[in-house]
Amino acid sequence: MQQAMDLANSSMMWIVASLVIGIVIFQSIKFIQLASKTSIDVGMSKKEVRSALKTGAIAAIGPSIAIVIVAISLIAFLGNPLTLLRIGVIGSAPIESVGASFASEASGASLGGEGYNEMVITAIVWTLCLGGMGWLLFTALFTKSLDNMEKKINKGKKGKQIMGVVATAAIVAAFGNLVSAELIKGLAPIVVAVIAGATMIISTKLSERFQVSWLREWSLGLSILISLCFGYFFI
Amino acid sequence: MNAEKVSDIDMKSSKQSTNNSDLAMDAYHAKAHFWGRLTIWSVIALSLFLPLYLSFGLGYHPGWTVILNALAAYAGVIAVVWVLEPVMYFPILGVSGTYISFLTGNIGNMCLPSAAAAQHAVGAEPGTKKGELTATLGIGAASLVNKVILVPIILAGSFVISNIPEHLEGIFPLILPAIFGAVLAQFAIKKPIYGVIALIIGLAINLTALPIYLKSLSCIVLTVFICLQLEKYKGKKQGGYENE
Repeated sequence: MQQAMDLANSSMMWIVASLVIGIVIFQSIKFIQLASKTSIDVGMSKKEVRSALKTGAIAAIGPSIAIVIVAISLIAFLGNPLTLLRIGVIGSAPIESVGASFASEASGASLGGEGYNEMVITAIVWTLCLGGMGWLLFTALFTKSLDNMEKKINKGKKGKQIMGVVATAAIVAAFGNLVSAELIKGLAPIVVAVIAGATMIISTKLSERFQVSWLREWSLGLSILISLCFGYFFI
Repeated sequence: MNAEKVSDIDMKSSKQSTNNSDLAMDAYHAKAHFWGRLTIWSVIALSLFLPLYLSFGLGYHPGWTVILNALAAYAGVIAVVWVLEPVMYFPILGVSGTYISFLTGNIGNMCLPSAAAAQHAVGAEPGTKKGELTATLGIGAASLVNKVILVPIILAGSFVISNIPEHLEGIFPLILPAIFGAVLAQFAIKKPIYGVIALIIGLAINLTALPIYLKSLSCIVLTVFICLQLEKYKGKKQGGYENE
């Protein structure tokens, strides 16, 4: 176990993890630059660009804390750099722990337990790195084809109307499904989801009536906070 | 209704500026493809280098049978999602949003809510040029915030986890329903009918024993189909659609 963790926390692991996180950060900055530059040509004001950035940043605080808290549970058997590497790019703590346990089972060991050595760690690195690569390969290879397909559909007024409906319906459906999966888990999630939804509607209506833009930027954060306070009494 | 309004505005704006913004958007997409692919391929290369180095640089190779067995089991769980997620989120995220989201991860719980919140704040419709740029700005900022929170906490890792008060831990499972409930409501304000349809289908699907990736897909396909029929019906009633 000790030798396995020494390898998991070795300097090469740290170097690769830092490089990957560095690339992700670079990409975000590059895309923000590109989008802000293009925003002028599409008729967006500087104020709108700032508002979009601020809102995205605020909205990410709650989910990020939730992600990180779950991710910490991986450190015990993956070590810090590998956890950082896997959580910093596509993949989530629950699914990575599934992959890690498959890899240690295949090696005839248990996660962080009996027979957990350098080779098991290596098997885990193979599984998690190749597993996460599926999304990356598909995105790198086929985003352009998806783009061309959409551009074809988007030609003409009717196509644009249809794409607008599809995009809106798709995102509503995505969240309808996500929230339903939580609702069937019990009373506490139902209370929290309903209060979060109600807070969102109230704060949106208020911000529209009184023209307060900060309220719109904080509406997701506020909804999460207020609904969790209520949820606290139901657990 | 909203989709029609948007396209009306598009039609009304002078041809010159439409052409300009089309050109700018094409140039933007070309750059997004370049930088998106470059960054993603670099991460792919690093993800290959690390296990190869452990196996053959340091000599801890566990054997191909072990790796293939583990990978086959893992792929059995997630392989469908590799294809489904990028395809089904593409109309929402657009080119640049797809590149950022699928590199930084946490699409459902972080990228989509951030994109939606940003579009909501500036009043941009998903599926339009402004919508795509706004989503990209929102997700980009979200990704940066995510790393700013992630890195120090993982570094401090074990210390933090032992210091969270026990009575607060019960709240963590409630964070997801809070995010999802709020974001659904945010869209239901604009299109209450879509929200009702999605929720009914979502609940029905989640009570079945379908695998997770099929649940999401069938909910999206069914909801989109019903909403399209609904708009078609409305359009017919108002005589809005030509060639109908």
